[in-house]
Amino acid sequence: MDKEKLVNEAKAVFSREDVACLIGYGKDSIGFRVSPIFIRTRDEADQLFFSPLCSLSLVNYLTLEKGVLLEGNKETGGEKIAIVARGCDSRALIQLFAERGIPREQVVILGVPCRGTIDLKKIEGKFPDARNCTEVTEAEGMYYIRFDNESHEVPKEELLADHCKHCAFPNPLVYDVLLEDLVDSKGAAYSDIEEMEKMALEERHEYWKDKFARCLRCYACRNACPLCYCDDCILERVSPQWVNRSVNLSENLMFHLARSYHLAGRCAGCGECERVCPVNLPLMLLNRKLEKDIKNIFEYTAGSNLDDKPLFASFNPKDPNDFIF
Amino acid sequence: MLKKFDPNIMAFLCNWCSYAGADLTGTSHFHYPPNLKAIRVMCTGRINPLMVAAAFRHGADGVLISGCHPGECHYMEGNYLARRKIFVFRNLLEFVGINPERLQMSWVSASEGKKFSNVVKEITEKIKKLGPLTTFDE
Repeated sequence: MDKEKLVNEAKAVFSREDVACLIGYGKDSIGFRVSPIFIRTRDEADQLFFSPLCSLSLVNYLTLEKGVLLEGNKETGGEKIAIVARGCDSRALIQLFAERGIPREQVVILGVPCRGTIDLKKIEGKFPDARNCTEVTEAEGMYYIRFDNESHEVPKEELLADHCKHCAFPNPLVYDVLLEDLVDSKGAAYSDIEEMEKMALEERHEYWKDKFARCLRCYACRNACPLCYCDDCILERVSPQWVNRSVNLSENLMFHLARSYHLAGRCAGCGECERVCPVNLPLMLLNRKLEKDIKNIFEYTAGSNLDDKPLFASFNPKDPNDFIF
Repeated sequence: MLKKFDPNIMAFLCNWCSYAGADLTGTSHFHYPPNLKAIRVMCTGRINPLMVAAAFRHGADGVLISGCHPGECHYMEGNYLARRKIFVFRNLLEFVGINPERLQMSWVSASEGKKFSNVVKEITEKIKKLGPLTTFDE
């Protein structure tokens, strides 16, 4: 992606709009890591960049800037926040606009059509010694990686984050400025989910038992999720206590049932939960399983339309009834 | 002698239809298995699927959710909303390896005492066949 265009558009946003802050991607000081950066003046915009390494979602930071967005702007006098958003981020934004009542015009969206992002765990596993000046560009199914005077070529498939492989919305669905030409969408793919559905019930149970037994209950998946924003989270509440603090299989299962069910019809598919998981649980499998069912049966896709009513706040008299006595 | 498996079934009954229906079952002297533990809720739409998960975790082998027939909800649309939520939650249970048959739903109106006793008989038989739920034992 053209850095110059990104920086120029960011500067234009600052001169054109009453923008208090721009949330974008900046380079971290080590290896392949990327940091969120908060730009408050026009000149700072030079630090912005975008590359396939930008795998984190910035939407979470938007709701952390509560003072500006959610408190009615009493002190800031109607200032706006600008954010760099990929396809999945734009879906999360649409959900937030609908659920939290954030006025659409409070957020200036710099839309980035996304060709998929790199899984940091994969690339660091491949090049553990990369320290300085890393740079990754993409062309024709290959990643060109340069660091410390070395350069490498790696096929895209080897480093692509898992959730990006199944992405159906690479283009931002809502934006004020588009930074690149739109890219082709392959459409949603659920082949891995269908594969799992074919397994016997006991087999699937064993699979998840093995996974959930590893869960540390660090709550990182919840904290990183742009759509888990409740101040009073039921996963931590003591009365009533839905999930005990003890870390064992049954509590972990309860935790993951609650977490994934709360994202039913809401998950934007950004893969943050999987990205931050310290024990690499395939959490997006749960989210995408529900996404698939909801899409097939209720013809509903979370965050695809600003005017949609939330899934569980609406119904159709023709909803499936054959499982009921 | 091996003890016969006696399932624990938790039932969430809506105040306006199924709870009254269960009452009618009793006053009409229709018999049904005593495995059911009924909890009255004002509407099936009030049921958070986490209540179902919590019931399983606290030892239920099966859960029954029962409310008014579609179109007859006291609050106009609560049962429609419940149907959607429970349908999705059953799919999630199945995906993590819990038999979705353990979570049953029925429409029983206040005048269907006979139907209520039949539903309970059928569900108890089903859960007996499935055996105890061991997922939350560890």
